[in-house]
Amino acid sequence: MHPDRSTRRQTLKGLAALAIAPATHSLAAVGGLPSATHDASSPEWERISGKLFPGKTLIPGQSTVQIIVPLRAAYGASVPVKIVSKLPQRPELFVRRMYVVVDKNPSPVAAVLDLTTEVGQADFETRLRVDEYSHVRVVSELSNGELHTDSRYVKTSGGCSAPPNREALHLIGRTVLKVASEVRMDQPVTADVTVVHPNDTGFELNQVTVMYIPPHFVRSIKVTYAQRKVFDAELDFSVSENPTLRFNFVPHGRGELRADVTDTKDSQFVGTLAIS
Amino acid sequence: MMRRLAVALALCIAAGAAAAAGFPARYAPTVVMPAGAPQRFEFDITAALQRAQRENKRLYLYLGANDCPFCRKYEAFLEKNAAELSAHFAKDYIVYDLRSSLSAQADRLYFRVGDKSLPYAEFMRSMGDERARQLVYPSVWLLDGKGKPLMQMPAGTGTFETVAEQLEILRLEQ
Repeated sequence: MHPDRSTRRQTLKGLAALAIAPATHSLAAVGGLPSATHDASSPEWERISGKLFPGKTLIPGQSTVQIIVPLRAAYGASVPVKIVSKLPQRPELFVRRMYVVVDKNPSPVAAVLDLTTEVGQADFETRLRVDEYSHVRVVSELSNGELHTDSRYVKTSGGCSAPPNREALHLIGRTVLKVASEVRMDQPVTADVTVVHPNDTGFELNQVTVMYIPPHFVRSIKVTYAQRKVFDAELDFSVSENPTLRFNFVPHGRGELRADVTDTKDSQFVGTLAIS
Repeated sequence: MMRRLAVALALCIAAGAAAAAGFPARYAPTVVMPAGAPQRFEFDITAALQRAQRENKRLYLYLGANDCPFCRKYEAFLEKNAAELSAHFAKDYIVYDLRSSLSAQADRLYFRVGDKSLPYAEFMRSMGDERARQLVYPSVWLLDGKGKPLMQMPAGTGTFETVAEQLEILRLEQ
């Protein structure tokens, strides 16, 4: 078996186990919970990191990767998260995988990104649901095997039980790619991919039927440029509704930027953008 | 007789509830009542901004509703901890207490500055405030004298109902 595939399968198995374990977790925390420092650990993180990175040493600090999250966001259902990598994606050393974790969410592993050097610069932005006071963490796995991590403590409540926006049901799956910076060949270009999708967590109550709305969320977004892989993102319902990723890619000539999206009902969606 | 007593009791309770609603007096809030109710709830914050500019202070703008349990909870927290908190408020802030009702949702809530009146969502967008999407009671804005937000505030007050966290907010910790 290809070693990468094996690792990937093990990772996904681990993620599933982590998602099941805290199923009885409370959905909406009250405010005023104990504060923690941004760089502190938590019992949840000890458990999660032990499963994701058994026996490995995680290097803390912001020398290689930094996560930027406000202490308090406007809404727990949509907390802006920015990840900044301090090294460029070069063949000799690059970020090959990135994990985004929200310690106290019912399913704590929000995203696992498999990256290539075609990213150019491994910076990402997205919005996450943060259910209660929690650390939000990033772990960057470098091509030399080193694991670097950074974290921020976030104060919010009710992120996973906040009602989603259901005004665009007929548009579910519409995948839009946009370039967010000047296009220069052989340089990292910033782009956004947005999927119109409720990203239902399974914890929202339908006020009419008084039944919980079943989970239905974007499971993966795979981005290519000119048929070359840029990155694959495995996602969970911790990503806010209408999942958006801001990323970089390096065009080496004219081509098509493409995002292939799959959700938990195995629906497939595609977005494309011609770059010249 | 019994009926008269019951009515008197109900009035007392109502009066007590009305007196309890609002930002506690120990923080010297200026109360602003809405114009145009009940069709629309328009709050004129022109004087608040002018005063903030004149006194070179920040504006702690509080929007509560008379029938909102979460508002009472925050106000009770403030009342309980006034001895510790009021001086910190007074040092840098002037407090304005906008008195609304839960029936005044985003479509009926307006803010007036000078001769310009904007509905809630538009007013939020004009300030670059992410809370344009949903009106939550209670809400707090921290503004300078020109009406510019000093930081993005969270919806509701649930994340600053301890003394330490209220102080974080007053210090604009992000």
